[in-house]
Amino acid sequence: MSGELLKEIPGYFGPQGSLFGLMAEPAYPPSTAVLLCPPLGQDLIRSHRLYRQLAHMLVRRGLAVMRFDYYGSGDSFGDADQTTLARCVEDTLNAAGELRQRTRCRRLLAFGARLGGSIALQAHARQPFDALMLCDPILDGPAHRAQLEALHAEMLADTRRFVRPRTAAEGAGQWLGFPHGEQLEDELAVMLLSVPPAALLLDSADTFPRAGNIVALDEPLGWDDLDRLEVAIQSHELIARVQRHMETLQ
Amino acid sequence: MTGLACRFGRHDHLIGVLSTPESHDDTALRPGVILLNAGLVHRIGPFRMTVELARLLAGRGYAAIRFDLSTIGDSGGTADAGSREDQVLADVQDAMAVLQQHAGCSHFVLMGLCSGAQNAHHVASIDPRVVGAVFMDGYAYRTRGFYLRHYLPRLLHPGRVARAAWRRLRRIGRRDDVDLPGFAVEWPSRQQVISELTGMAQQGRKLCFIFSGGALGYFNHPRQFGECFGSLAADPNVQVRTFPEADHTFILAGDRARLREAIADWMQQSF
Repeated sequence: MSGELLKEIPGYFGPQGSLFGLMAEPAYPPSTAVLLCPPLGQDLIRSHRLYRQLAHMLVRRGLAVMRFDYYGSGDSFGDADQTTLARCVEDTLNAAGELRQRTRCRRLLAFGARLGGSIALQAHARQPFDALMLCDPILDGPAHRAQLEALHAEMLADTRRFVRPRTAAEGAGQWLGFPHGEQLEDELAVMLLSVPPAALLLDSADTFPRAGNIVALDEPLGWDDLDRLEVAIQSHELIARVQRHMETLQ
Repeated sequence: MTGLACRFGRHDHLIGVLSTPESHDDTALRPGVILLNAGLVHRIGPFRMTVELARLLAGRGYAAIRFDLSTIGDSGGTADAGSREDQVLADVQDAMAVLQQHAGCSHFVLMGLCSGAQNAHHVASIDPRVVGAVFMDGYAYRTRGFYLRHYLPRLLHPGRVARAAWRRLRRIGRRDDVDLPGFAVEWPSRQQVISELTGMAQQGRKLCFIFSGGALGYFNHPRQFGECFGSLAADPNVQVRTFPEADHTFILAGDRARLREAIADWMQQSF
């Protein structure tokens, strides 16, 4: 299955046409659309294929789907160190508006993995989606920031990557390949989120107690595995779980 | 710099982003730049290096397209008969058509890292519209000099040998020893590569070879280029740059900035 059956239309939208989006619609006018909120940093690159597969599955099921990149990430304008959570939430609301306007759908759902889940949650608090699907969302900002710092320090010292360990100064202001601004650091330092009971929560890291819509994935996705930093995240199970959840919503 | 997201190609199956300079005055006179996928990473490149490079080049007056080859990233497949190499050539020629249509470019520079360098080499050896190429961690072959530089220091420092052996022992059983999904592509013979590169240089194509520290397993000194490719090293159309501190995918922002500047300077000196 690829572009022969499904045509995704790329384009720029949002403030000054600064946001990149990729829209896919089924043959018949859909009543439901899904906004896929990407993670940030290397998680975005690692999960690109997974998001694409998810989008194709949803379109095959008759839904309109939009993937997009936040300002300073992916194909969108801006530099990585200009990315802030506040701007990401605004961009998500912009993307939701764009998706509603283009498809005229009655229902709008959102999916987000990792920080994409956190951003979807914060956008949902401002303008609720009709349903929310999250995968390994980052709920504890300070813990995530500490984890990024630790992995980054470990990466700098990794002599399988570098001929000699790199200094903290050489890696300053970055997390695992991506420069970040002070505002993003500050936002993570105070970010503590909770998941609404109705949201589907896919948990690959055995982080959440099993209850309600919390579903364990059998295989860990390995987001924080430094040895797999440049290996794509793949999970047929995740796609199947989302598909099954969609059936309960329709 | 302006950005245009486009769907294009002989089967309308390719997805890419074109960056063009604000002023189009002499863009058409300059070569358009085509940035190729590095492995399976989609068109933004490892750690977004391709986005950063395309925008810098557009800021210096060069139109640049970064796109996903068939079946990579967001691009679809085709039912075209032929080898993967044929498909890559046709995809790159589709990207050339986009640069021609939107920026008026009639000649092109190809840039690629790793498999992107191999694809750039293949297309540059065939399409006469290619006037230059940047090969990052592309073809090179181990030489006697390589082995001397690699093993001699280790033999002279037994402590290093012991530490290397200890590191290897510690790695046994670790997850990075597990085979990850991937495919190794057999490299063409050195004689074939020399012949193709010589042809490119004789036709006046400007060639820039960049080797990172990630290539130290097969290329460990600028001198090796001459050991490996002979008289090409002295060809005025050929430039070799090394970034021994950087890793293969230039994970650190400072390394990427130095790489970008080196490429942009080479472009300005060459075209």
